[in-house]
Amino acid sequence: MMPMLVRRLFWGAVTIACIYTLTFLMVITVPGNPFRQSERNMPPEAERALRVRYNMDDNWSYFVEFLSGAVRGDFGPSFTYSDWTCNQIISEAFPISAMIGLLAILIAIVIGVPTGVIAATKRDTAWDFGALALVLVGISLPTFVTGTFLLILFAVHLQWAPIGGWGTLAHLPLPALTLSLPFTAYIARLTRVGMLDVMGSDFIRTARAKGCDERTIVWKHAFKIAFLPVLSYLGPATAQAMTGSFVVEKVFGVPGLGQHFVNAALNLDPGLIMSTVLVFSALLVAMNVAVDVLYAWADPRITAAV
Amino acid sequence: MLFLSFGLLAALLGYVRWEAPPRADLRYANSSGIHTLDPARMSWNQDLRIAMNIWEGLTTYDPETATPTNGAAYFPPRISDDGLTYTFTIREDARWSNGDPVTAVDFLRGWRRCMEPGTATDYTFLFSDHISGVAEYVRWRRDGTALLTALKQLREGLTLDEQDAKRVLLHLQQIDHASVRRNGHPSDKITGAIDAQYLLSMNIDWASVHESAFETHVSEFDERFAAVGISAPQTNTLVVELTRPCAYFLDLTAFPTFSPIHETIELLRSGSSDSPITEEGLVVYDAQWTKPDYDRCGYPGLITNGPYCLSEWRFKRHARLKVNPYFHDADSIACRSVEMVVYEDLNAAIMAYEAGDLDFLPAMDVPYDHEIARLARNGDRPDFHLCVLLATYFFNFNCISEKVNGKPNPFLDARVRKAFALATDKAALVEQVLKRGDRVAHSFVPPSAIPGYEPPQGLKYNPEEARRLLATAGYSGGAGLPPIELLHTPRDQWVCQAMARIWQSELGVTVNLAGKETKTFGEDKANHRFMIARGNWYADYNDPTTFLDCLSTGNGNNDSGYSSLAYDTLLVQASQTHDPSERMKLLQEAEAIIVQNDLPILPILHYTSPIAIKENIEGLSPNPRMLFPFKHVRVVR
Repeated sequence: MMPMLVRRLFWGAVTIACIYTLTFLMVITVPGNPFRQSERNMPPEAERALRVRYNMDDNWSYFVEFLSGAVRGDFGPSFTYSDWTCNQIISEAFPISAMIGLLAILIAIVIGVPTGVIAATKRDTAWDFGALALVLVGISLPTFVTGTFLLILFAVHLQWAPIGGWGTLAHLPLPALTLSLPFTAYIARLTRVGMLDVMGSDFIRTARAKGCDERTIVWKHAFKIAFLPVLSYLGPATAQAMTGSFVVEKVFGVPGLGQHFVNAALNLDPGLIMSTVLVFSALLVAMNVAVDVLYAWADPRITAAV
Repeated sequence: MLFLSFGLLAALLGYVRWEAPPRADLRYANSSGIHTLDPARMSWNQDLRIAMNIWEGLTTYDPETATPTNGAAYFPPRISDDGLTYTFTIREDARWSNGDPVTAVDFLRGWRRCMEPGTATDYTFLFSDHISGVAEYVRWRRDGTALLTALKQLREGLTLDEQDAKRVLLHLQQIDHASVRRNGHPSDKITGAIDAQYLLSMNIDWASVHESAFETHVSEFDERFAAVGISAPQTNTLVVELTRPCAYFLDLTAFPTFSPIHETIELLRSGSSDSPITEEGLVVYDAQWTKPDYDRCGYPGLITNGPYCLSEWRFKRHARLKVNPYFHDADSIACRSVEMVVYEDLNAAIMAYEAGDLDFLPAMDVPYDHEIARLARNGDRPDFHLCVLLATYFFNFNCISEKVNGKPNPFLDARVRKAFALATDKAALVEQVLKRGDRVAHSFVPPSAIPGYEPPQGLKYNPEEARRLLATAGYSGGAGLPPIELLHTPRDQWVCQAMARIWQSELGVTVNLAGKETKTFGEDKANHRFMIARGNWYADYNDPTTFLDCLSTGNGNNDSGYSSLAYDTLLVQASQTHDPSERMKLLQEAEAIIVQNDLPILPILHYTSPIAIKENIEGLSPNPRMLFPFKHVRVVR
């Protein structure tokens, strides 16, 4: 197990380095001027002073400086929001996104897995069709529709929750629920497919023949195998959920990390673009490694394979 | 996995503060966060709004008329008979938020920062255009920092662009450097092409050249500033010498760029402690100085002198203001705390406003703003108001580039520009496309807005005349014109589509829409890579020149590239004229050239912007410059 972990971490680092280089290339080649603050044109001397100050006089030295800063955990200043460093911005926003994201993933597991199992075990019944409908809705309705719907229903009409913003526990459930819907749907589908696959296999028939009761067969024998695809999906899904969703944050006015991905790119803020991308890719790599470890633990055959 | 997630979630719940702070007396929304709270660097409305409440200039704006009134200095100041010397006496009870008295030196410090290249402010021109000696000082500083930066790069073996290489060579000649004498550089080297490789091959000890240039610059640093026409003969007296009489100078001194800065900022100056500038020659401060809770090097956090001080600022979340207890009028301020909340989505802000979570919406640019404007106009919603802004939405014609994207640029010909302007049915755009209730614009400066100034009539919609002019220019019925490229941002697409249709049907031209994302749009516009480009301008101060200067030759915001000797001459004449009414007449003549004859720009509308103020809030009123001083606010609950 240890050699596998080391190998995985090494390739993770290589992946992140590639992502960094590609992002950097895109940032410096994209048209537009990162120092342009508004539609007013900046005096050339002022722009020059900023280039010196942000180390952007020379692309190569900026590449090296940013990387060496990032390795030390210092992402430098934001260009658009010059009073803030990228570290401040991320440490302000990431815990919020992480909290909403984790809660969303938990909701997705708690609802999605049983739905999938029920749909599979009661195949072609009303239960199955109901679950499939839920999946269809969850996957096809974009979050800005479901989010706005939930907001109008629970915040405006029923007044159970505040209208957007952040600061109290009451602000947490609606965005988390909205964010969880596509994940729930996907997990339910993965579970259903996995269960159907496993339920038809030989060892289940053997277990049935031995006289196991249905509950033990489903949860103890079949589910353990059927859950593996869900597990491998959970790695990237968790990373994605924890780094926030631009749409959900915009609908609910949540000051999370997702908005910075989009706004940094729109504002052409090189420091913030690269630091958010690095944070996301590091989290993604970490989650994938974690999933690999869990996989190996859940299914010993896999350790030999990888 | 489940347990792990639960554990992490629990840890995060502990990390974030959950107690809701008590509701501020006044809560308002912004659609984007504050860009900066450095008064020297800000130009966004939401930033200026906070700055005007936490800083107090020598003068301030009256909340209803937006004209200058009492500020940190007694009003009005003593103005010499020739209108060139302003003597401000600072109030005895003017105090910083830590209790320190506000002095003239604090203003000197704040103003000097705006002249420094390292501050990178857009507004240096407000000082150099009006105050004597500033332009010279700024030029000396810019040249000095450019040289020191170039020398530092040579010291590190880095390359330079040609301009900097020349600068360095000139410097070597000026100081009569041994290598120059030895090599006997012919002066044609200066005019010919030289590069950093050439300089680096000269075998010079760049470190010592940099060091001596640095020391010379530092030794002159304060001496040069003494020649600037701003002085503090006494701690409470600030004397300002202007280059020419300036009718709106007291308006400028209320603008946040002219704020004083507390001496504690010096604790955060970058570079070594014994020299005022960095190795690049810049005066730079730690950008964190605007934070209320920043405490590096004994810095006490942001100290301001306005009616409010910043008590909390969370990035893209909120900013809280509380009354500055030492402010001279502190006791009479009814609204004791203000909270600015960031709503990325203004729809959510409007919902929160309707639910009573917010008291004030200073901007409501949502897709249904024409409905909001209608409600405000009809009086159906007494809490919705329309601000008639001192701002113009217009289109730039490219008057400078021979070719645009390889095609000949027909707009070099003023007749073509004029034809396009005459063919534009502005009333249709304003009333049928936008429907916001903006005012149709025939001039660059909004009419009946600036006291003593009435802009010229401009051109009215006249498609026949337009077709005739186009024919005299050689493009009868649009024949021979290349496809016209119209550069705009996504927000302008409705207006631009309508304009394209109008021009196609009236003039028979083909119009291609080039919608670009804001940053790219801005670069293309500034570099004249367009035939027609959308433009907008918001007044910085209450005078026609805030608009008209934009079209003078070489102005940094002259996106059309327009250059007219007659126009420039009139502007210069106006600036040298002492008689205010004569000056306004000259400015009006100048404006007539651009809106009636040459048409470098095509004015479309003067903005009207809806705002919402809850009816129980007194003391906030719509005004043309969107200035909202909270110290006059009274909340009736």
